[in-house]
Amino acid sequence: MSTQRAEAQVADRSVQLAPPLIQMQGIVKVYPPNVLALDDATVSFADGEIHALVGENGAGKSTLMKVLYGLVHHDRGEIRYRGRPVRFRSPGEAIAAGIGMVHQEILLINEYTVWENIVLGAEPVDRLGRIDRKRARGEVQAIIDRFHFALDPDAIVADISVAARQKVEILKLLYRDVSVLILDEPTAVLTPQEIPQLFAELRELRNEGHTILFISHRLEEVLELAERVTVLRKGRVVATLPAAQTTRSELAALMVGREVLFSSRRTPQAPGDVVFAVEGLRYEDEHGRVRLKDVHLQVRAGELVGVAGVEGNGQLELVNAITGLLQPTAGTLRVAGVDLTHAPILERRRYIAYVPQDRGRMGGSLAASVVENAIMTHHRLNPRLTRWKGLLLDRKAAHRFTDALAQRFNVSMPARAAPLRALSGGNQQKVILGRELLLECPFILLDQPTRGLDVGSIEYVHDQMLAMRRAGRGLLMISANLEEIFLLADRIVVLHRGEIVADLPVEQATVEQIGRYMLEGKA
Amino acid sequence: MARVLNAALGVLIALALGALIMLAQGYDPLASYAALFQFSLGSPYALATTFKNAVPLVLTGLSAAIAFASGPVNLGQPGQLLMGALAATIAGLYLDLPPLVMIPTLALLAMAAGALWSGLAALLRQAFGMSEFIVTLMLNIVADYFTLWAITYPFKDAAAYSPMTPPIATSGWLPEFGDWNSAVFWMLAATALMWFLLARTRPGYEWRIGGQNSLFARLGGCPVDRNFILVMLLTGALAGLAGGLLIMGGPHRFLRGLGANYAWDGVMIAIVANNSLPGVLAYGLFFAAIQTGALGMELITAVPSEIVLVLQGALVLVIVASREALHQLADRLAARRQAQRRAKQAPFLESVEQP
Repeated sequence: MSTQRAEAQVADRSVQLAPPLIQMQGIVKVYPPNVLALDDATVSFADGEIHALVGENGAGKSTLMKVLYGLVHHDRGEIRYRGRPVRFRSPGEAIAAGIGMVHQEILLINEYTVWENIVLGAEPVDRLGRIDRKRARGEVQAIIDRFHFALDPDAIVADISVAARQKVEILKLLYRDVSVLILDEPTAVLTPQEIPQLFAELRELRNEGHTILFISHRLEEVLELAERVTVLRKGRVVATLPAAQTTRSELAALMVGREVLFSSRRTPQAPGDVVFAVEGLRYEDEHGRVRLKDVHLQVRAGELVGVAGVEGNGQLELVNAITGLLQPTAGTLRVAGVDLTHAPILERRRYIAYVPQDRGRMGGSLAASVVENAIMTHHRLNPRLTRWKGLLLDRKAAHRFTDALAQRFNVSMPARAAPLRALSGGNQQKVILGRELLLECPFILLDQPTRGLDVGSIEYVHDQMLAMRRAGRGLLMISANLEEIFLLADRIVVLHRGEIVADLPVEQATVEQIGRYMLEGKA
Repeated sequence: MARVLNAALGVLIALALGALIMLAQGYDPLASYAALFQFSLGSPYALATTFKNAVPLVLTGLSAAIAFASGPVNLGQPGQLLMGALAATIAGLYLDLPPLVMIPTLALLAMAAGALWSGLAALLRQAFGMSEFIVTLMLNIVADYFTLWAITYPFKDAAAYSPMTPPIATSGWLPEFGDWNSAVFWMLAATALMWFLLARTRPGYEWRIGGQNSLFARLGGCPVDRNFILVMLLTGALAGLAGGLLIMGGPHRFLRGLGANYAWDGVMIAIVANNSLPGVLAYGLFFAAIQTGALGMELITAVPSEIVLVLQGALVLVIVASREALHQLADRLAARRQAQRRAKQAPFLESVEQP
């Protein structure tokens, strides 16, 4: 179903249950210097409803809620709460007005009891200004009873489960008489068995007249709990739908994007020899949790393989095992016939070009000049960039190299000596992409290569990737964007809980099928 | 350019603050400042003294700046300086070689002792993952009492009433050329050499990038663990050299309290200079100038020389704060411009959802 049609139907179906309690109108938030997190987002929440916010990572869900909670300050737009324009300068002001938020990370004092944590900062005091412990404990017990939370007020926080700690966080807000509760991915820290209990408690709160806004990316939970669902994409609200009248696949389509083309841009091409092969790759983290489970994966010359999956299903570990940031528990890695399983990073970089997902953290140094970013790795592998047995940098050669890179990859920069941060995101990515492609490695690993880029830059990156495919390189792309994978890949593999659950030629795959593999691990 | 402006602004505001404090206490700030700079820059002798006093400041400043710019948080300059001074002193007491051999030997031994002291911290970090930040700080205390013990017992000058060693052999004394002590030459040479190392060589490039973004450097194939050790050794050697030159250029013996706050001033200078090596030289000279002139100022105007500490403190705060403020201001202006652009492109009153 085309998403445009879905959007057209939004207005018809979005019948207000009650006059809106909260209206957020045209909210724009730019994180300095230039990250556009909210782009004219408009949404309203009704009194006494459970309202879910869904969207891909970076869609702006958390930022929107932090704006409402006064933790982040918006640059444009208006918030009306109970009919009045408001602008909370701090979470304290929001709580005083009756709006509270529970964050993903739980922030409690482990050595204190449950009731001490709950009253902390709002302790009842007696006439001498001493904390009235008896009254405080009694008040906490009363709230626990009223909402039927199964919790012992005298337990030490260090001794209770994560689910119970989350209840303490919620009770902290209820103790402060909050009527609007914002929950940021409340189920992320819970085990599947604990989730129904939380949902029952949230429904109880709603029945008592509270409004609950919760952020989630688990669509099945959203549809189970919420009355209405708002979908965000790239900082905009694309739809608000009654949960009873929508489906998971409609929500997924709205989250991923409009006009999903899903028509391939590749030209047919017979793949060559295997250039990249991992076999039996297994990785257990320091807590003994299995992050990668018997992963077998091959990429041939002239082939582009796309790795799909919900974030956190082993993509990071797979990438790090290839680049050498982590040493797998078992398995082998061969590139161009060379066994790199135990090779140091520099040795790997002779065979593996790597475009990481995070430009400022792994792809480059934002404080360093374009030149210094461009010559990384080349300065060790290309003898023409150094003199005196590699000890001195040849500045002129480095400048020539950078100019050639800038020209070939259309980098627009204020000056060679300008810091990387002075370039736009698209140009930063071109510097990184150019540097990696100029290494002339037989295998290219791309982790979300177009994340956070504008449409023009995305197309440019895609063109370069396809050119590399034509030139006979093997490419492995991890992407959270299914559209991108269908557009470019020859084969799609799906990672689910560290396992490859599907490996299909793109012609035989459908979006719905891949989506089911991503969410459930089976078709 | 912005950096020079920032520095000039910082110096002016710090001087103005100092003037206000002096006014409040009934002193004449103009006469005081005139005396301050007369006794630090006003005559060839004063100028040469200022330069000589800058030597330990600049060398420990280089040590801190190189460490901070490359990642390792080496805060052990005070201890490394003392160990370097002790090594030069002991060697100077027992060796007597021709000056052309003696001076480099003592300097190298001072550097080796400083590097040993920082290398210990590097080793503990590599072997046990202990933070070099804490270990170098703790080793300062060890060095403090170890050197005090050394000059109180085994190497004490029998004729002295307080802990100090006898003077080192005169062949180890740094030669003077008129008013100018040749320690100044060592300082200038070290600054130039370190600048070249950081700006023009492959290790320097890898250190700097590693300091800015260690993960990027690692993924780019730089040996980040080895670089960590190298930087720790080098910066320890620089602080050790500061201690050695302090002995060889100055009192020629290890006195109790030697080095005092030089090394901490060096750390401060590195922070004010934002780890720029030419900046370290410039601020080191400025700090030395006001410290040198302070005594003269006290003689002439009765303003206590401690006012210089106020000036230093104000300078650090003003320069660091205004640097950050300028950055944040620029970022915020950029964000606001983008928000305005977005608002123009898509007037938010015609929004998607209409109730």
